[in-house]
Amino acid sequence: MAKKKKQATPMRMRRKINKRQEMSAFGPLLVAGLIGLGIASLNAVGVAIVGLAPTIVLSLTAKGINKAERVQCVGFMNIAGVLPFIAMVMDQPRELMFILFNPINLATMYGAAAVGYALVHVGPMLAAIVLQSLAQERIKTLNQQRQALIEQWGADVIGDKDGPEEEPGWAQGRRPSA
Amino acid sequence: MAVDKERPGKDIYALVQHPTIPVRNEVYKSLKSRPVANVVNPIDRGLMNLDLKGQKQRLVTIFERPTGGALFGPDGKVHPRVNTNKLRQSIVLSALKAIAAVHKRGFTHRSIMPTNLFFAAPDGDEVCIGECYSAPPGYKHPFALEPLKLALADETARGEGDIESDFYQLGACLQSLYFGEALWRGKDRDSLLMARVNQSSFWALSGGREIPGALGNLIRGLMADDEDERWGAEDILDWFEGVGKPKRTSMKAWSMNRPTSFKGVAYVDRRLLADAFARDPREAANFLKGIDFPAWVQLSFRDEILTERLEATLNVVPGGGLGGTRPDDYKMVSRVCMFLHPTGPVHFKGHSFFLDGLPSALADAFSRDDRDLIGVILDLFDERFLNALAEVCAERNDRFMTQVRGLRPIMIHGSSKSLGRGMERVLYAMNPILPCVSQRFSNVWIGSIKQMMRALDRMAAVGPLKNVLLDRHIAAFCTAHGSDLERDFNKIAAAQNDPVRLNSLSAEFFGMLQRRFKLEPLHNLTEKLVDGLSNTVKALKNKKRRERVTALLEKVKKGGDVHKLTTELNMSRIQVEDSREFAQARNALMKLDREKAKLGRKILPTDLDARTKGLRGSRLVAFVVMLLVGFMAFFPA
Repeated sequence: MAKKKKQATPMRMRRKINKRQEMSAFGPLLVAGLIGLGIASLNAVGVAIVGLAPTIVLSLTAKGINKAERVQCVGFMNIAGVLPFIAMVMDQPRELMFILFNPINLATMYGAAAVGYALVHVGPMLAAIVLQSLAQERIKTLNQQRQALIEQWGADVIGDKDGPEEEPGWAQGRRPSA
Repeated sequence: MAVDKERPGKDIYALVQHPTIPVRNEVYKSLKSRPVANVVNPIDRGLMNLDLKGQKQRLVTIFERPTGGALFGPDGKVHPRVNTNKLRQSIVLSALKAIAAVHKRGFTHRSIMPTNLFFAAPDGDEVCIGECYSAPPGYKHPFALEPLKLALADETARGEGDIESDFYQLGACLQSLYFGEALWRGKDRDSLLMARVNQSSFWALSGGREIPGALGNLIRGLMADDEDERWGAEDILDWFEGVGKPKRTSMKAWSMNRPTSFKGVAYVDRRLLADAFARDPREAANFLKGIDFPAWVQLSFRDEILTERLEATLNVVPGGGLGGTRPDDYKMVSRVCMFLHPTGPVHFKGHSFFLDGLPSALADAFSRDDRDLIGVILDLFDERFLNALAEVCAERNDRFMTQVRGLRPIMIHGSSKSLGRGMERVLYAMNPILPCVSQRFSNVWIGSIKQMMRALDRMAAVGPLKNVLLDRHIAAFCTAHGSDLERDFNKIAAAQNDPVRLNSLSAEFFGMLQRRFKLEPLHNLTEKLVDGLSNTVKALKNKKRRERVTALLEKVKKGGDVHKLTTELNMSRIQVEDSREFAQARNALMKLDREKAKLGRKILPTDLDARTKGLRGSRLVAFVVMLLVGFMAFFPA
C-alpha cells in the first residue's frame, strides 16, 4: 500500500516537498542553540530538553506539506513557554529539580506548545476568511472593469451578438405549420 | 421644327441624337465655328429633357433649316423644281462648292444622298447638302450609294473613307435625280454587287439606261469604281468650262486568269470571290483546305508572285476536313480574302470591317446587345493576326498597318475580365464622344465624368445607388475618360462581396473624382454615400468611436463634400483600428472572466494557499510571542 501511495504522488510534488524540508533550518538552529546553552549552563539544557519535548517529537514525526511552518510555530510557542524557566534555572541552578518536577511548570511549558498547535489549526482558518474577503473585493473591481468594457464595446464583446436565441417551435412542443 | 428666340424668323430645326450612335465631334466643332456654304451647318447643341416614353435627357443639335424642301422626298418623288438643266447648272455647282469646302476642312461628308439634298430657299436654285455630324461616315448608308470598295463592308463599319467617296455619292445622287427614281431601293445586295463589279456601278444602278450628253459624262466620271479614275473637283470644274476631255472609265483588272468555282458559282473577279468567301467562311475554309493553294494561286493570278514569305503568312493548311472548322480557319479565310482584295475590308467570321469603322460597328453591336458581333470584334483583336493581314496587303494598302498601330493600345483591354476594362472599355476608348450607355443612365446623357457625377447626384435624390460602380459600362466609361482609375476599380471589384468595404471604397472613389474635377458640393450623392456608410458605422464596435464617426458623417452630409468624407474619415483605417481594439478588448474580458471564476470559488482552510499563509501568520505570531516572553524573562523590569 505504502509503495502504491508513493507511486501516486507526482514526482514534481515530491521534489517540492523535499525541497521545503531541506530548506527548514529550524532543527539545526535548535540543536546549535542547545549546544550554546549547554556551554553556558548544563542545568538550563536539561530544562530545555524536557520542556521542548513536544517540539522535538513533532520535528521527528511531522510529515506532509508545511511541516517546517508547523514545527516552527509549535517550536516558537514552546520556546516561549520554556524561556522563563531557563532564566529561572540559570539564576538559581539548585532549583533544577523543583522546577522540573513541578507539574504547574511542566503544564506551563507543554501548554505553550499546545497553544502553538492551536495556532497551527486556527491560522489557516483565519487566513481563509481573510483571503475570501479580499477575493470578494477583487471580484467587485473586476466586475466594474468588465462592465466598463461591455459598455464601451457592446454585447458583442462577450460573444452575445444576437442576444439569447429564441427556442425553436419544436422544442416548445408546437407543431410545424403546414 | 424649332424656334430661334434670339433671332426670330430664322429657320432652324432640332435633331435629337440617339445615345448609341457616336457623333462626329470634330465636324461639329469645325462647322459651328466656321459655317460652310451649301451645307446644313449646326448652330448649337445642348442637353434637353424630352418626353420620349418618359422624361429622357438627350443631346439636341440645332441646325440651319433649308426651306426649299428635299430634292428627293420621303414619298419617293423628285422635287418638281428638279430638272436636267438645274441638275447640270445649279445643283452640281452647289454640291461641288459644299464638298470642296468640307474637304478643305480636312474631313469627308459621306452622307450625300438624294433625300439629304435640299433647296436652300423655296424660290432659289441654291442647293444645300444635309448635315453629316450626327452619325459616323457612311453609317447605314444604302449599299448602292456607297462606293464599291466601302460598300463591301458592313453598313456600320465602313470607316472614314476618302474624298473620292463623296464624289461617288454625288454621282449616284445625280443619277437617281436624273431618272427620278430611288435607285438604291429594292435591290438585292448580292445581285447588285455582282452587277456593279461586272458592269460598273453606273450601269448597274441605271439598269442599262444611258444618260446622254454632258451630264452623262459627268455622272459616269463621278461614279467610276476605281478611285484613280473617279472624277474629282478639278475634273468637275473642267467639265463646267467644257475644256476638260471626258475621262474614259475602264474596268480595272481585278480579274483572275482562270475562274474559280465556289459553291457552284464561277468567280472571275477577285473582289467577288473574297466577298463570297466572307459570306460563308466555313465553306471557304473547306474549299481552301481542299485545293493545292500555291498551284491555285499560280494558275489564277499569273501576275502575282506568291513568295515563300507570303505563302507562310497566308498559312493555308491543306488537307484535313476532319473535325470540321477550326477557330484558326476563320483567320486563314480572312488572310486569303485580304490577299484577294487588299484594299477591301477585313472579312472575318461572316462580317466585314474597315479598321477605322470598328468604333461605329462596336457601338452598334452594344446598342443591339449583339454579343456575337462583340465576340467577333474581340477575336479580331489578335495582334499577330492583324500583323499578318497588314503584311498580306502591305503593297497595296499602306494605311492598314498605321490603323493596326492605332488599335494596339486599345485592343489590349478587350480580353480582360477586370472591372473598367474589357470590350466596354474598348467601346469608350474608340468612341470618346459616345455617352455612357449603361442601363442606369438610360434617361440621362453622360458625356463626361463631371456629367456622370452630377447625374449620380440627381439620381441619388430619387433612388438608391447600390453597386453603381460595379456596372461594367460605368467603370469602363470612367477608366476611358479618367486617368489612373484602373487600380481603384480593381480594389472595388475585389470588395464586391463585402458590402461594408465596397461602400467605403465607393465613397473614397467619388471623393477623389469630386476633388480631381473640382466639382461643386454634391449633397444628394453625399447623403446616399453617408447612408451607405451607416452599415459600416453600425458595424463599428466601439460605442464612443461610433458616436464620433456618426457626428462627423452628419457634419459632412450637410456640407455635401464627398472628398471631405474620405479625408476626415478614413473608414478603412477606422475599421481596421476598431477590429484590432475589439480583439484586444475580447482578450481582456476573457482574462477578467477567468480571474473572476478563479476568485469566485469558496476558499477553505485546507486550500494550499490559505494553509500556507495561515501557518506563516501563526509562525509569525509565535515568534513575536517568543521574543516578548524571552525579553521579559531575561530583562525583567
